[in-house]
Amino acid sequence: MERLPLKPDREAGLEIARDAVNLSYIDWLIMLVYFSFVLGIGFALKRYMRTSNDFFLAGRSIPAWVCGLAFISANLGAQEVIGMAASGAKYGIVTSHFYWIGAVPAMVFVGVFMMPFYYGSKARSVPEYLRMRFDEKTRALNAFSFAIMTVFSSGISMYAMALLIQTLGLLHGIVPDAYIFHVSILLSAAIVLAYIFLGGLTSAIYNEVLQFFLIVAAFGPLVWIGLRNVGGWAGVKRTLPMTMTRSWHGMEHASTNSLGVEWVGLVMGLGFVLSFGYWCTDFLVVQRAMAADSEESARRVPLIAAIPKMFFPFLVILPGLIAVTVTSRMAQPVAATHVSQASNDAHQALPEGPGRPHGIIPLKTDPRSGQVEFDSNGNPVYNYDLAIPVMLLHFFPTGILGLGLTALLASFMSGMAGNVTAFNTVWTYDIYQAYINKRGTDAHYLMMGRMATVGGIALSIAAAYAVTSFNNIMDALQLIFSLVNAPLFATFLLGMFWKRTTGHGAFTGLLAGTGAALAHHGLTLPDGANPGLHGGWIAVLHHYPSDMAQNFWTAIFAFSVNLIVTVLVSLATKPRKEAELVGLVYSLTPKPVEEHLSWWQKPAMLGVGVLAMLIVLNLIFA
Amino acid sequence: MGLDIRVPLGLIFLITGGMMSLYGLFTRNSAIYQKSMGVNLNLGWGLIMLVFGAVMFFFGRRQKWQDDPVSPRPWERGNGIPR
Repeated sequence: MERLPLKPDREAGLEIARDAVNLSYIDWLIMLVYFSFVLGIGFALKRYMRTSNDFFLAGRSIPAWVCGLAFISANLGAQEVIGMAASGAKYGIVTSHFYWIGAVPAMVFVGVFMMPFYYGSKARSVPEYLRMRFDEKTRALNAFSFAIMTVFSSGISMYAMALLIQTLGLLHGIVPDAYIFHVSILLSAAIVLAYIFLGGLTSAIYNEVLQFFLIVAAFGPLVWIGLRNVGGWAGVKRTLPMTMTRSWHGMEHASTNSLGVEWVGLVMGLGFVLSFGYWCTDFLVVQRAMAADSEESARRVPLIAAIPKMFFPFLVILPGLIAVTVTSRMAQPVAATHVSQASNDAHQALPEGPGRPHGIIPLKTDPRSGQVEFDSNGNPVYNYDLAIPVMLLHFFPTGILGLGLTALLASFMSGMAGNVTAFNTVWTYDIYQAYINKRGTDAHYLMMGRMATVGGIALSIAAAYAVTSFNNIMDALQLIFSLVNAPLFATFLLGMFWKRTTGHGAFTGLLAGTGAALAHHGLTLPDGANPGLHGGWIAVLHHYPSDMAQNFWTAIFAFSVNLIVTVLVSLATKPRKEAELVGLVYSLTPKPVEEHLSWWQKPAMLGVGVLAMLIVLNLIFA
Repeated sequence: MGLDIRVPLGLIFLITGGMMSLYGLFTRNSAIYQKSMGVNLNLGWGLIMLVFGAVMFFFGRRQKWQDDPVSPRPWERGNGIPR
């Protein structure tokens, strides 16, 4: 019915995505300034990289606010910026649960409760903490799986960046079209290599801070002008179905909200298991807090980070919502929208229901033939991943467009850099020093860290090309990451808060948890998917309404199995002496002294404040 | 670490903001601003970035980081490296 008038606009969107990237000298100059600063920071920091401690831990001398911004920026890589806007365009404001439920509470927890053990134990990495608390084999398991995952993550980041540069034709006319992909990969690899090789973790952290401010500087005006165009948040609400503009609407049942998850699965799976498993145990982010200049600062790092984190949906998810609102508002009279909303209420929970506006989101085309892709029902597929780039091109004139693209490139590169710095530390301290050369001098390990940076980037390039050549490898990798990460938090929770937990218990628990995740994935299937990579490869015992629901419940099962197995095995094995666990376990560690801090400086107080703000935000958008 | 991040952060915003506002100044009333609904984003936002950069640079420069001691190693001295 009223889908017809949209057609010209859709095609306009396509045009934008294909070839309308007309950059002038000012855009290139802005990008050039950024890249020279990135490398300049590396060179300026080179003379401070005297010991392995400087290189891997930034000399533990970075102020809390700098670490805090790096803490969230390290996570704000390619998949995050592109993916969150895409998800915003597809599912709506519910995507902000990935920030509000899926990050902030975990960040408060790691700051208030866990950081004293990470920082105070003087462990240099998360796997090293596991060795101090448990034993060698638990560390080895964590170190190896983490090292492999970081290399692949950084490869995926590199691939996504090169793909975007190719899709936008950013280097069109400078480099022959056939080489754009390869040149983008090599160029980004060379820049990241240079600044980490020179400045180590400090360089990575500083560039993450630059990235943070660039993202705010670029996406702030984008959201402002976009909202102006569509008539503010009220305009967005008028055009889009209610499931897209309210974050808790229809959460009581999986079939009445666009994510296809009910609130129990959302809160337990995403809000507890997955988010705590990531923010509290992933060395990529914890490393940023470990670089702080004191234990108090380290505890404040995630809490400081949580404040901008909870407002980031407005910068990265809102552009996606605006992108689907823009032209549909012009095409559809307001009154007609209301009618269609009422009549289509039953379908509007679905991400691709009828009457759902697509705004300026272009159709997905096959990169080789240029033909529009269709799904199994014959409907055209929309390329939501282009939400942010299309928004930038739609609203930004040349000049500020250069700033927008710089911010995108910055976030791609620091996503890569975060993984590389985490990799070189874990490789050097937890694999090389632990199993290959135990008696090297400090200078030797510093040199090894630089070599590991080179090696890590070379492996990332290989991973990026592996992703390019095998269609399904990206889905498979993300599946494996989620299976390995799902049970992790149970191990840390028991290790830090139950002194009876033993190394054997932790190790078997971890393996059992991953096994449970694997089995659960093999026995269940989301609706509408075929058995295989999406699950059900053993037998299909249960159907989930969406793959997100399946993913969350897989995590819940993995966590529970790990918890139970760890407790049982720990009770059956001999515990370590309590004296050995001082500083590693909550009940045996003296509480951090806080008397000299004013009430508003105390981590617990900060944490309560952050959670109160979170509740207010959720109420506004409920 | 010696270098205060506010110095490069301030500089990058000063330079980028300066370039954008100059470019915006010379392209006033240009057709390129039809995209941004007639708002000269380069001039307006460029100036805001310029001010932010100046503030950051000012606070970063108050301490002379070049005089910082190299490699302070604050925690290695005491207890030795846990292994």
